[in-house]
Amino acid sequence: MINDRKNLTGKEYWRSFNQLAETPDFRRFLDQEFPEIVSENGHGLSRRKFISLMGASLALAGLAGCRRPVEKIIPYVQQPEEIVPGIPAYYATSMPFGSTAYGLVVECHEGRPTKIEGNELHPSTMGRSNAFMQAEILNLYDPDRSQKVIKNGAKSSWKDFVTFWQGQLEQYRGTNGEGLAILTEEFSSPTLYRLARDLRNNFRAAQFAAFEPIADGHLSGDIFDKPTADFYCDYQYDKASVIFSIDSDFLMTEGESVIAAKRFADGRKISGTGNSMNRLYVIEPDMTITGAMADHRMRIPRSKIGSFVGALAFELEKQGLNTGLADIVESFGSHNFDQKWISTLAKDLVAHRGECLLVAGRTQPSMQLIVTVLNEALGNTGEIVKYRKTDSTASLVARSEGDSIGGIIQSAQGGGIKTLIIFGGNPIYNCPASHQLSEVTGNIENIIHFSTHVNETSQKANWHIPRAHFLESWGDTKSAAGTLGIIQPMIEPLFGGRSDAEFFELMANGNDKKGYDIVRETWREILNGGNFEKKWRRVLHDGIHAKNMASDDKPRLNLNRDNRRYLSGALKASETALSAANLELTFQVSPSLYDGRYANNGWMQELPHPTTKLTWDNAACISPKTAQELNLKSGDVVKVSNQNGEIEIPAWIVPGQADYTVSLTLGYGHIAAGRVGSGVGINVYPLRPQLNAYFSSGATITKTGKTYKLASTQDHGAMEGRPIVREGTLEEYRKHPEFAKEMVEHPPLTGIYPEHDYSQGYQWGMSIDLNACTGCNACTIACQSENNIPVVGKERVLEGREMHWIRLDRYFTGEVDNPEMVFMPVACQHCENAPCEQVCPVAATVHDAEGLNVMTYNRCIGTRYCSNNCPYKVRRFNFFNYTKDLPEIVRMAMNPDVTVRSRGVMEKCTFCTQRITRGKIKAKQEGRSVADGEISTACQQACPAGAIVFGNINNPDSKISASKKNKRGYGLLAELNMKTRNTFLARIRNPHPDLVDYDPDAG
Amino acid sequence: MGSKTEIFQPPGEEAPLIAGNPDFHAVTDKISRISERKVGRLWYIGISISGSLAVLLFVSIAYLVWEGIGVWGVNNPVGWGWAIINFVFWVGIGHAGTLISAILFLLRQRWRTSINRFAEAMTLMAVTCALIFPGIHVGRIWIAYFMFPLPNQMEIWPNFRSPLLWDVFAVGTYFTASLLFWYVGLIPDLATLRDRAKQKFKKIILGALSLGWRGGNRQWKHYELAYLILAGISTPLVLSVHSVVSTDFAVSILPGWHTTIFPPYFVAGAIFSGFAMVMTLSIFVRKAFNLEDYITISHLEKINKVMLLTGMMVGYGYSVEFFIAWYSGNIYEVFTFVNRAVGPYAWGYWTMICCNVLVPQLFWFKKLRTSIPVMLVASILINVGMWFERFVIVVSSLANDFLPSSWAYYKPTFWDISTFVGSFGLFFTLMLLFVRFVPVIAISEVKGVLPQADPHHHGDAGEGGSNG
Repeated sequence: MINDRKNLTGKEYWRSFNQLAETPDFRRFLDQEFPEIVSENGHGLSRRKFISLMGASLALAGLAGCRRPVEKIIPYVQQPEEIVPGIPAYYATSMPFGSTAYGLVVECHEGRPTKIEGNELHPSTMGRSNAFMQAEILNLYDPDRSQKVIKNGAKSSWKDFVTFWQGQLEQYRGTNGEGLAILTEEFSSPTLYRLARDLRNNFRAAQFAAFEPIADGHLSGDIFDKPTADFYCDYQYDKASVIFSIDSDFLMTEGESVIAAKRFADGRKISGTGNSMNRLYVIEPDMTITGAMADHRMRIPRSKIGSFVGALAFELEKQGLNTGLADIVESFGSHNFDQKWISTLAKDLVAHRGECLLVAGRTQPSMQLIVTVLNEALGNTGEIVKYRKTDSTASLVARSEGDSIGGIIQSAQGGGIKTLIIFGGNPIYNCPASHQLSEVTGNIENIIHFSTHVNETSQKANWHIPRAHFLESWGDTKSAAGTLGIIQPMIEPLFGGRSDAEFFELMANGNDKKGYDIVRETWREILNGGNFEKKWRRVLHDGIHAKNMASDDKPRLNLNRDNRRYLSGALKASETALSAANLELTFQVSPSLYDGRYANNGWMQELPHPTTKLTWDNAACISPKTAQELNLKSGDVVKVSNQNGEIEIPAWIVPGQADYTVSLTLGYGHIAAGRVGSGVGINVYPLRPQLNAYFSSGATITKTGKTYKLASTQDHGAMEGRPIVREGTLEEYRKHPEFAKEMVEHPPLTGIYPEHDYSQGYQWGMSIDLNACTGCNACTIACQSENNIPVVGKERVLEGREMHWIRLDRYFTGEVDNPEMVFMPVACQHCENAPCEQVCPVAATVHDAEGLNVMTYNRCIGTRYCSNNCPYKVRRFNFFNYTKDLPEIVRMAMNPDVTVRSRGVMEKCTFCTQRITRGKIKAKQEGRSVADGEISTACQQACPAGAIVFGNINNPDSKISASKKNKRGYGLLAELNMKTRNTFLARIRNPHPDLVDYDPDAG
Repeated sequence: MGSKTEIFQPPGEEAPLIAGNPDFHAVTDKISRISERKVGRLWYIGISISGSLAVLLFVSIAYLVWEGIGVWGVNNPVGWGWAIINFVFWVGIGHAGTLISAILFLLRQRWRTSINRFAEAMTLMAVTCALIFPGIHVGRIWIAYFMFPLPNQMEIWPNFRSPLLWDVFAVGTYFTASLLFWYVGLIPDLATLRDRAKQKFKKIILGALSLGWRGGNRQWKHYELAYLILAGISTPLVLSVHSVVSTDFAVSILPGWHTTIFPPYFVAGAIFSGFAMVMTLSIFVRKAFNLEDYITISHLEKINKVMLLTGMMVGYGYSVEFFIAWYSGNIYEVFTFVNRAVGPYAWGYWTMICCNVLVPQLFWFKKLRTSIPVMLVASILINVGMWFERFVIVVSSLANDFLPSSWAYYKPTFWDISTFVGSFGLFFTLMLLFVRFVPVIAISEVKGVLPQADPHHHGDAGEGGSNG
């Protein structure tokens, strides 16, 4: 039934790492692919259970106290105009995230925020979102957030703190801030900038530093004629024909990934054979989703990236491009990289002058400068690469050398700091090895920590001030691209926290003011020119200050002697050869915990890592070859050591990882994250040599002999030669537009039962464009939030009982060491001939007239027969009562429109039936039919790439109808006559003609 | 009695069905005494062990209902685990009884009389064990009654297209018919026990249960007709029940389940395992109660021959599955079967092949099929093999189906094992109670196959039937 696929794609899918060699190791590996699933202590008192029990009692003790205000539980005597029970209200706000911000629209039910979406007006989201944004709902209702002011371990009050600080303030006013140090996380807010400036000016002698373990890495203005400014690079991925990513995971972990993914996908999508699409080259040490999207990917250790770029620049010069770096790169004529790959890349770039794009990641700050030069030389500046001046907290507050975390530590060592204010962050946890902050905390009289959680840093502080979540606060933001946004509260602070603005106002000026007043004070300046209230209301409504959108700057490149010397040094990076005895550690920003800030978020902990599919843990990721040389298996606990220290961490073999590199994911291993995140994974920050260092050479790995169970949601990474993710090259697609359908031959499909007529009314369908899907996981978390999907914990994931309704299947294809990685989002396919429906003995899963495969939870008795008979295995069973132990406060995150499932029932994707119903009701009330695009599913709405299209397939003018007509379309396992309502569009790769099926594996 | 003289042997029969040539009274006495006299210590030891295991079953069920299906090892691709395996296993074992009683009765296989009573009892006990599993394996046991077509105000009916619903009817009908058949066969023997009973309490109970049986000619005439009709009703059920059970798998679309050969192959397997269980039990019963004369080596040999035949039918089923998988050209089918033989569950597959295909081949040899130790070990291995057959079918097909992304390994937990072991406890408890209180051999039927029961009998063996 399968056609000879070689004729179509020329690509062979491989079973497993060592299959090509067919060594005995391969057999052993195959055995290992089915790891024993042991539930150690699984059914007794599991960790999850223990902490939830503990949490429940804590929550009962703690929460009852803080939510007591009696007057608030009186039912409405007069119905507020805006609140209709059962009808959600939507408010615009923004989410601060390091030195940028995302614009949000928050769905609130009776004053209770339940779901976050992107704000269509905000340029950093344009209505899309990512997993981090989606997960903030759960952060809001995190019962482990700190609930009281703590002074020296005892409960205190905000009032006491105000009194205390006002006293301190008097003292420091006298000394101009001598002995005062302020360590703040990065922020991007006009109000906070104003107050930080106040603070700075009030205490000129104070040490004031900004600290972020993962800085957003804006471009330093040194390379331009404006050395004092920082620049945000606004890359127009959609307009570039050729993109070369230098260790930049711009689709996921880099800043502004939402808009980058949207633009990239826009340049990637093709609706017909006449369309063109971009071509992506990637060099990176570890397999990221950006690398997965690449047409050509080369795995290179991070320490060698500089040499590669040098070699590329040399090649560009050779091919006649005047880069302006000829003298710097002249020594790069000989190198160890694949010459054909480099010269083809250079040829492609030169051929696409003015429409190509080079982008370097935040892990490569000096490469960003070189990339700026090369983009300029290639004529990309202006159209494809735009620069915009941006603010940086560090440059705002820093006046001298001492205004850095290192400077503060140094002063503290000498006893020069009496009071240290730590605004947010968790430096004790995530300080790199060279900044041992915890050692000097004893020398400081007062440490004040303003934080959402009583975390590792708070434990060292003698004042802990609870920080409100942004959904509870008044505030404002300025995105990296310069968009001004407003933060408005959706709910009263659940735990009595103070907003950032309130805290900063107190710190800077000693005033205990309301956040609302502080923010309005700032905005009175921004919205000048009269009529403030009207403008203010407009801003609140839009969430952004639409009238004041930032414009591009056109800085001129400045290649003076200093800069040339600097660039020359950057390119001559370490050239020592890596080996099994000299490994490179590459630090990876966690795609789910970021820098660790989402550690206590169950959704994020259980969100599979896009590449490794690991949940609830991080691991030392190594390539198959490195593993072979070090005699390691996945799950072996290894000791990883470098000059900064050593950690014990389980190893995990990842195809596509650069040889002799060990990828360590940041953000795990908290000791005081809360009931969810404490003790999960290993903290790798202590191995980080310094702030913003993303690699470290000279590391070694030794086997400890111990093993550790890692919970991966996908044990098998090969497609077994099955036509699951179907892909072809652009050329093949143009020759055989229907190649995806042609991959499977089957007899005419007929059923034994007469088929229902679905030609009338709304008929819902979905189409997922595998060419656009980047595998970023946003859909999974959006679905989890929308549909009240429980978190089950590591033990349950090990048992294969994760509950995600939409999962991202990840397969490796191609060469063993240097494979390609493909993703496929799989949710219920809503088969018209649904095999699940036929076998349910109680008719709990049936079809509705609109083509939805629906579940009747009340009727379900839980035979699990439907799941057995589902060829996609998308049905999820409630093996236990997963919501029973949920703290009351977490239940507030539940979507009231969706049933919370009980133990023993089956559940699955409903195509967001509650959204469909809401849309239909609205249309009916207005006496019209549902318009195309009016109803969107949660996954579709979140998808930054716009890969998911949903709508009425009976409407010939709808987007979904157009997508269904696309020749790339195919139904997964369509040969089973499922007649799925969800179909896929085959993935297209766009290799350079010279590099088709070329393996550049230079190592 | 007449043990010294020559035994009448009808033409075509190799050996007398009952050895030792007892008279009618001796038969009655021998068999009735088993349930009349005080039981030995062995029985008490046996029932305390099996009773404890039965308690384990109920504890396991209670824990399951309290905590949820998650206490078992079932996971996302493998939605059915030991519970369904055990269900099919016990239903399969429950096949022998009715087959022996009904089909062999209709085929006039007179050797069945020695073993039919406890084979039928075994059927009932096994089906009782089997019925527990579909009941407890559902997620919400408290509404499992939704499976029955009960009239309700919402007019919601079960889904008649679902094989699980067919199971409810098939197994329910089979259990009812088997129970009636067994009970009807018991009536004359219960009357015999009633007549011999000395305690008043026993008299009342047995009197009620024997439904006023007096052994009159008219009663015998009606009785035999009723028995014949029940045999006629039960015969298709023997074939239908496991065919229907097999549709749980065959009707699905899963590679390895979606197989048209399943109904006959399941029935053959069921008879195979049922006879193996009859064999295991017979060996113990005839030893424990000195029934060697009633259950002779010849009986056991016949059972072995049936096992040889059905074992080869099962083996044929295994090979045809492979052939069809290859012949279909369907990559999913091919993978599933190759995966069974070489994949993560290969150990289960080869256990099954050894026990079910290789072990019965021993019975080609007369010496081996008449050796008690050989047949004991073989019969136990065959049931091990048949359990693994269901394991292989249920688990290996589910664990590695269409999309490799969802593949996972299934491993049972303590509670899976305790429930299964506990079901053996329940089974043996019920069997021990049966041998204690009910005649283990059909007295009236055995008498019917004695030489002196033949109207044409004119030998001198036995002293006549009037002493019965």
